[in-house]
Amino acid sequence: MENSIWGNGIFKKKKKEDDIFAILKQVPIFSDLKPRELIEVEKIVHRRSYKKNETIIHAGDPGLGMYIIIKGSVEIIEEDEKTGKRSLANLSDGSFFGDMALLDEDPRSASAIALVDCEIMGFFRPDFLDLIYRKPKLGIKVLLALAKVIGERLRHTNELLTKIQEKKD
Amino acid sequence: MDSYAFQLYSQILKIFWRIFLIILAIAFLVFAFPYIKDVLIMFIIAWLLSVLLSPLVNFLEHKGLARGWAIFIVMILIFAIVGFSFSLLIPRIIQTVESMISKLQSDVITDYSLKIESFFQRNFNNAELGRNVTASLNDLGLKLLGSLGEFFKSVGSFLASMIIIPFITFFLIKDARRFKRALISQVPNRYFELSLNIIHKIENQVGKYIQGQATDALIVGILSIIGLFIINLVFDGPLPYFVLIGMFAGLANLIPYLGPVFGAVPAMIIAILNNPPNLGLVLLWIVIVFILVQAIDNAFVSPMVVSKSVNMHPLTVVVAVIIGGNIAGAMGMLFAVPFTGILKVASSQVIWGVKNYELRHPSRFEENSAKKNK
Repeated sequence: MENSIWGNGIFKKKKKEDDIFAILKQVPIFSDLKPRELIEVEKIVHRRSYKKNETIIHAGDPGLGMYIIIKGSVEIIEEDEKTGKRSLANLSDGSFFGDMALLDEDPRSASAIALVDCEIMGFFRPDFLDLIYRKPKLGIKVLLALAKVIGERLRHTNELLTKIQEKKD
Repeated sequence: MDSYAFQLYSQILKIFWRIFLIILAIAFLVFAFPYIKDVLIMFIIAWLLSVLLSPLVNFLEHKGLARGWAIFIVMILIFAIVGFSFSLLIPRIIQTVESMISKLQSDVITDYSLKIESFFQRNFNNAELGRNVTASLNDLGLKLLGSLGEFFKSVGSFLASMIIIPFITFFLIKDARRFKRALISQVPNRYFELSLNIIHKIENQVGKYIQGQATDALIVGILSIIGLFIINLVFDGPLPYFVLIGMFAGLANLIPYLGPVFGAVPAMIIAILNNPPNLGLVLLWIVIVFILVQAIDNAFVSPMVVSKSVNMHPLTVVVAVIIGGNIAGAMGMLFAVPFTGILKVASSQVIWGVKNYELRHPSRFEENSAKKNK
């Protein structure tokens, strides 16, 4: 049973923060950060709650940043006038999406919709750029990790392209 | 009841409540404005200071200083500036204006009155007309200087009650991110990214605009001081308060088109009051100095430091200055154009957001909710 005294106030807040740090640690771009550095990141992320079927990001909107799923599951959908809606992926706790928007403001390529009631954390480009200026060591660490993630994705895409090419040949 | 009718009814009710709340908020602002005006002005000044000083805090943080220490050092700087202005500058300005008034009331005015009267007597054979003209000019000059003195006195008392401004500034710099997060957490999910993006863009653009204006005013002030100092050297000190005049010219430069004129007039008045032997030449050089400063400002300084997106039509400037003057007197006139600039930047970002984000498209969540209601 939860103790009414210890379950409230600073201890509850501490537990909530611990949860956020644990989630942040799961995200590849933050996984190498020290606890002190995670505190700096925690200061600039935004926590949001989304109801089932609510749109988190809309394809075509200017990209602003990435989202990390704390709790729940999210469907990534590609919308096309000819082919209609196509599901690209289902993501759950600890997954992230929209990370390309940390680099530029290009329009979102897909929409993200909550499949159940979700707790989400947003990490946005203006705050990231501000962090790079204010705390260059930390900023560069995150930037390098982001480059690794995108590099890995590119490598994977290249492999898939090669396979498709081979099949065609 | 039919579900469609119920939906329509609830929507009409929602719109009605929104309009009612907006009217209530406007009525409250109109009613409370005279009471909250001073506090509002204090917050605005503190916010302007926070915008001006944040880059310095960020720079110190960038150099490896903890944010708390960076803010502390910058705050010491603010206290020093406010303390310096309060103890040194304001009493001197008041003294200057008062001495100018007493000078006007004594020998100089009498001297000029006699000259004007004899001019009218000689050319139009009408000394009465000359007396009327000098009386009107005298009245106008005293009124102008009187209001100038009142303005600086009000600034002085304002500064005296402004000990709390640095404290407000401190918290605005320290907790800016927290305030922003708290504000944005209240925005519905549908408008979350749009609001966040617009807030960031406004913050960025407005910050650049304010910093640009402040840098421009500082450079114009320094250039004017140098120019007036040279006049003082060449003509044996006809402008005793050239530093104050230069600073005023820098501040007046916040008002485009009218600012340079406002900046040059005090220098000319002081030169006339001091009545040096070659007054005509001194006045000519004052005009040349201010034209030169404006030319340098327009050609080199402004294009580099002031955002081009805030170019304003002369009519907008005049209207803004009049409205600013009505709301907050001389201070309002001075800051009306920068605030109009801030509003222009902010509204352009809001328009950008509305154009670029998909606001009309209902989400699947809303589609499903609508279906459920049916």
